[in-house]
Amino acid sequence: MTADPRAGTVADGPAHALLFLTCRRSQPVADTSQSDDMSPTARTGLSAHWHRLSIRQKQVVWAWAFLAVPIVFYIVVRFYPTGNAFVLSFQEWNLLGSREWVGFENYVDLWNDPVFWIVFVNTFEYLIIGTPISLVISFFVAYHLDKVRFMHGTIRALYFLPFMTSAVAMAWVWRWFYQPVPIGVFNNFLAQFGIPQIEFLQSTSIALPAVLAPAVWAGLGFQVIIFMAGLRAIPPTYYEAARVDGVSNWTMLWEITLPLLKPTIVFLVVFSSIGFLRIFDHVFNMTTNNPGGPLNSTKPLVLMIYETAFGGRSQMGAAAAQTVVLFVILLIVSLVQLRILRDR
Amino acid sequence: MANLALRDLVKTYDRTEVLHSINLDVQDGEFVVFVGPSGCGKSTTLRMIAGLEEVTSGTVEIGGQVVNNLEPKDRDIAMVFQNYAIYPHMTVRKNIAFGLRTSKMTRAQKEARIEEVAGILGMTEYLDRKPNQLSGGQRQRVAIGRAMVRDPAVFLFDEPLSNLDAQLRTQMRLEIKKLHRRVGSTIVFVTHDQVEAMTMADRIVIMKDGHIQQIGSPAEVYHAPANTFVAQFIGAPSMNLLDGRGTASGVTLWTGAALATGPGAEGKALTIGIRPEDLHVVESGGVLTGIVSVAEPLGSETLVYVDVDGKEIIASASGRTPPVAGDRIALDLDVRNLHVFDAASGEALA
Repeated sequence: MTADPRAGTVADGPAHALLFLTCRRSQPVADTSQSDDMSPTARTGLSAHWHRLSIRQKQVVWAWAFLAVPIVFYIVVRFYPTGNAFVLSFQEWNLLGSREWVGFENYVDLWNDPVFWIVFVNTFEYLIIGTPISLVISFFVAYHLDKVRFMHGTIRALYFLPFMTSAVAMAWVWRWFYQPVPIGVFNNFLAQFGIPQIEFLQSTSIALPAVLAPAVWAGLGFQVIIFMAGLRAIPPTYYEAARVDGVSNWTMLWEITLPLLKPTIVFLVVFSSIGFLRIFDHVFNMTTNNPGGPLNSTKPLVLMIYETAFGGRSQMGAAAAQTVVLFVILLIVSLVQLRILRDR
Repeated sequence: MANLALRDLVKTYDRTEVLHSINLDVQDGEFVVFVGPSGCGKSTTLRMIAGLEEVTSGTVEIGGQVVNNLEPKDRDIAMVFQNYAIYPHMTVRKNIAFGLRTSKMTRAQKEARIEEVAGILGMTEYLDRKPNQLSGGQRQRVAIGRAMVRDPAVFLFDEPLSNLDAQLRTQMRLEIKKLHRRVGSTIVFVTHDQVEAMTMADRIVIMKDGHIQQIGSPAEVYHAPANTFVAQFIGAPSMNLLDGRGTASGVTLWTGAALATGPGAEGKALTIGIRPEDLHVVESGGVLTGIVSVAEPLGSETLVYVDVDGKEIIASASGRTPPVAGDRIALDLDVRNLHVFDAASGEALA
């Protein structure tokens, strides 16, 4: 087989090579060396079928052959569990017993649960505070970093580093930063100037922003890189023409840079919104003794789902209902953002 | 309206000098074209005039005032870029209006000015369109409109036609020339296309490797090239450059043919230039004979590539009864059409 020099030139894939070889083999009738179990007529039939297809049809066959793998994967790993969760949200199940239909009871319970509404507000606080702040900071950094030539690569790497760091490790380091004197860095710093202690993770009003800060910081590197790619894509002559026209840097920023960055901004707004709506590991790790505390003031929806499902009582149906609610929130927020930002 | 002067202009990038002492005077209302191969420094020179590049040494004067340290906006110039630099998210009107952002005109005056410019460029009906709804030529016009609206003393064009197809380029060439006659501003135009330079310029500045090779009217640079570079760069097809040697009465070509160009370069190694259209196919006699290797019919004429003693020479033959490949033909010339250059320096001999 490998002795055939033409066999080596077939790079389209093993299946193609196989077809090629079968049609090659079937031609010489006098070839007695073949002792395969497939009959020559069957192979002739297959290759004849293949050769009867038009180029377009062959492309379609190949496309589906390659698509089949991810499609199967997605159905098994994504779509089936998703569908299952929807069904489960109308049932009661403790992971071990049988599932029982309860209709909308899980949703009604959720609606009447005061904790859910706290969590609901928290989740949106993460979104509404986190997304704009992280976008403004990352744009500010990218805009200026784009103009810096000195140590450009190093500085960019420094911004990107947190993105590559494990959220768990980061959360614990920040948790240490937030400790009271003499342990916590921030409070030590404040104490040097005689400023009273801030109970970062113990105060119901400050805990949420305190948990959010490292999450913003962690995502910054990614957003900076994306913003810089967007900035680089704007032709420099746009700015040169503006300079010749004599407009201010401020005008250039608002009338040229930002409008032309719109596709980048839309992408980052949607992407980071989804991220903040799904915040979990930072909160969980920074408030482990009392997850989502103090008094549920930092608890996001994903953490609530986690606790409902795996927090001891294994209320899988209720957790599924909460998941469906989260899914609907994500869907609505993303669609609204796309609608608002896309055409204007 | 203003004249423009470059005095000993030098540009250095990281200790590499890319422009070497450029001197040029552009009269008020003159149309000057910088032409040369890529990397010759023509765009850099233009950008220094615009104020987009720092001047390393020497001066740029506009209207008698040294502008080296002035911002582009304070130089009373406008520039048209190769990629037009018109903003895709703004309408044509807004793009043109961008040129007036810092102007002290009232809103009504600005509107009137935009309408006026759009009228001159034939863009009135497109004012409320976005650039992606325009053709290449129309975008080019928007870019020119943006420059015109400010009524600058000097217009700078940086290869504005190179993104257009051949037909549109010819058309825009004509339009820019007409515009110049109508508006009368000083124009500095950069191109790598010698045809653009020849057709549009009052004066051509030919550059190579950061040096000016020759400054002159299109006729001057065509008929009296200063050196072999200019001789070959201007004119298509290029001038033939032949090896020769000076004699008491004129020159002897490498084939041994003697031409009576007059005394003056006795014993010197020379380069003899002759344009293809100055070589005539003759029945018999002639100065050079050779075999046609390729014939390129262009309709009005046929270019013949003739192998003369191992040297390929381009000649222009009649379009009606052209020689064909393989023909043995004789070429004649008039010694008055010869260009004589020093073989070593490439400089033209008087």
